[in-house]
Amino acid sequence: MLNLADAPRGCKAKVIMVGAPGTWGVRLLQMGITPGAEIEVVENSGGLILIRARGSLISIGRGIARRILVELISH
Amino acid sequence: MKEITVALAGQPNVGKTALFNLIVGQSVEVANWPGVTVERREGFREHGGYRIRFVDLPGTYGLTATSVDQVIARNFIISGEADVTLVLVDSTIPERTMYLLLEVLELTSKVVVAFTKSDASHSAGVHINYDLLEKKVGAPIVPVSIKTPDSVRSLLDKIIEVHERGPSSQLIKVDYGELEPFIRSIEEVVRGSGLAADFPTRWLAVKLIEGDRDLESRLLKRGEIDILEKARSIRREAEEILKLTMPEAMAMKRFNAVIEVIKGALIIKGLPTKGGERLVALLYKPWIGPLLSMLLVSVLFTVVFTINTGFPLNMVLKSIGLSDLAGFTEDYSLSHVVSRCFDYLSQVVSSSISDSVLKSLIVDGIINGVGIVMAFLPLIATISVVLAVLEDSGLLPVIATSMHPFLRKIGFSGHMVFPIAISFGCNVPGVVAARASPNFGERVRAWLTIAFIPCQARLVVVLAFATALRSLNGLMLMAAAYAAALSVFIAVNKSLVIMYKRRKLYEEPELLLEIPPIHGPIPRVVWWIAWNQVKHFLFKAATVIFLASLASWIMLHYTPSLAYTDDYSLSVGMSIASIASPLLTPLGFNEDLAKFIGFALIVGFFAKEAVLSTIAIVTGEEAPAKALSVLGVSDAQLVFLTIFTTLYVPCIATLVTIYSESKSLKITISSIVLMMVIAYAISVLAYAVVSALVHP
Ligand SMILES: Nc1nc2c(ncn2[C@@H]2O[C@H](COP(=O)(O)OP(=O)(O)OP(=O)(O)O)[C@@H](O)[C@H]2O)c(=O)[nH]1
Repeated sequence: MLNLADAPRGCKAKVIMVGAPGTWGVRLLQMGITPGAEIEVVENSGGLILIRARGSLISIGRGIARRILVELISH
Repeated sequence: MKEITVALAGQPNVGKTALFNLIVGQSVEVANWPGVTVERREGFREHGGYRIRFVDLPGTYGLTATSVDQVIARNFIISGEADVTLVLVDSTIPERTMYLLLEVLELTSKVVVAFTKSDASHSAGVHINYDLLEKKVGAPIVPVSIKTPDSVRSLLDKIIEVHERGPSSQLIKVDYGELEPFIRSIEEVVRGSGLAADFPTRWLAVKLIEGDRDLESRLLKRGEIDILEKARSIRREAEEILKLTMPEAMAMKRFNAVIEVIKGALIIKGLPTKGGERLVALLYKPWIGPLLSMLLVSVLFTVVFTINTGFPLNMVLKSIGLSDLAGFTEDYSLSHVVSRCFDYLSQVVSSSISDSVLKSLIVDGIINGVGIVMAFLPLIATISVVLAVLEDSGLLPVIATSMHPFLRKIGFSGHMVFPIAISFGCNVPGVVAARASPNFGERVRAWLTIAFIPCQARLVVVLAFATALRSLNGLMLMAAAYAAALSVFIAVNKSLVIMYKRRKLYEEPELLLEIPPIHGPIPRVVWWIAWNQVKHFLFKAATVIFLASLASWIMLHYTPSLAYTDDYSLSVGMSIASIASPLLTPLGFNEDLAKFIGFALIVGFFAKEAVLSTIAIVTGEEAPAKALSVLGVSDAQLVFLTIFTTLYVPCIATLVTIYSESKSLKITISSIVLMMVIAYAISVLAYAVVSALVHP
């Protein structure tokens, strides 16, 4: 298990926990980043992370990504 | 005619604005939702013997009380004012966007579903069996596309059908599985609450187990603390057993329900990466991405400003010796053409009025005021169009994202790229664009500091001062002015961040954005977005700018005892200047000159360019450089004036916009004080340094 900010580019991962508090957390969940969801890390470089979740591309700031716990499925 | 009210609900980007406009056409009325500054749009459409009223709800991902938008949306759906709720699902990303549908279905069963962008679903790799999906959902589903306007007719038919049919029990319900017993216990508890009269009890239970803040505070307000406590303890119990927080568990269950519904009715094929996505990926690369974004943004706005004002192309042309061409780009820029029209109008009017006070009021007050507004209009309009194109094509979130790591360093998020970039041309639309940020603290800091970014009107004044220099290099002075302005912008923002952090008010600027697929802009959509912006400017800012120019006319044409005067030196403005003049005497200005320069700076408060015209009027010299040398202003004093003009209060239009955006007198006044103090301190420092160097 690792946090989304450390997930390498191109990997597929399963979300374990969305720890972001308050508004951001709820927003993430509503955007489909829920425990159990499979996501793909499209880009992870510099300050930003781009993932694909439930069919849509989402850019996530590093601070938020650090609070999302994932499990790698494949590289 | 009988009337039906329809609430229009959908997630951001589903195509709600596009569909709304397509259905109601020109009949749009804009107001605010009661008590908040969230826009409420309504429109009408006649169909099948009904007058159907559409109320556009704020775009929200779900219906939890984490933002005003979501509370507004759900309260309206529950209120009973809406006969039917039309929920939009994006047919290119059905799984994600059906989440909101399931949340709405927990509130009401009078629902019609529209699958938007149906023209694009195949190319997105999505194939939908609508008949099967409709059976599984239980509500009518209509594929629609703004490319085939006729598709809304069957949507309207279905709305009438559902209205005439009334509530239905055939619709899918989310099965919360092992959470059901907990939800039922809370349901029992809330039956005893007064809230049960206003909301369905199951929905109350579902939202309370999620820890909904709005409902919790309503319970508190009613003094039903025991009910709240019981609900909370049931929630804690469930969380312990599931080892998940309730918001997580509930969202998960809802998405599982979505997957259950679409299973078999929908095929999603992965598609090869398209050009658009490769561009997005490129903009994400460290260094290359931000550089490309910056290049793109600066090229776009350079073109926009050149068309509108001639700047900065005129500067480039002048510097390579093509001053004729430079003059041409300036003279035929939109804002010059507009102001020439108004000059002409002034001449016609002034030759036909003989009464001097009335003439001055109409010409210098009213026509001049309207002229200022109108000169801004083409600029606001073109910027709105450019932003609309960026928004509609999907580039805006990409650029915001790629600039985010840089802006973070001064406490801003990627959302602030555009407000800052636009402000180099003009602060007014820059301040308006700051709305893009969802973070209030970030918006406050933008309102307070954006005006430090030197707009092109200031450049004009700086340039005139630079040409009046005797021994110093003019180009160096301009560079110094820009450097000072930007350093101040950065330093003030950094200090504000530190201040906010100390007071524990700081919220790290974060970014969470959906990146829609890049596509060519749809002209109709661009027009809608842009027109909306321009209308806002015309009705809100323009009226106040007009009133402010009237006020400035009064200040320059009336004596303190309120008698009309033609002589500036007797005006209210001049008396204020003489009160302020001691601030200028330490800079080596003699008393008269101090008064006069102070007066010019006060006039500059209304519009920066007016500093020059005032100097011109009083000295009787058209060329500013000559006027300044007639006055005997020294190089060090010019340095002071340059830096001060660059940093002090931008102009009345910007201040008015800061006020109309923030709705806070405190923020507006703070920004004025901040700018005045900093401008004075830094320009006095610059004066001291230069006079020490030039006359050692
Ligand atoms: N292909 C296609 N694209 C569409 C259609 N309707 C909207 N779009 C595109 O979808 C995007 C979002 O459209 P909007 O109407 O602005 O969506 P919205 O739901 O109002 O989004 P917000 O303004 O963010 O709330 C734009 O890029 C539109 O060009 C459609 O019928 N077909």
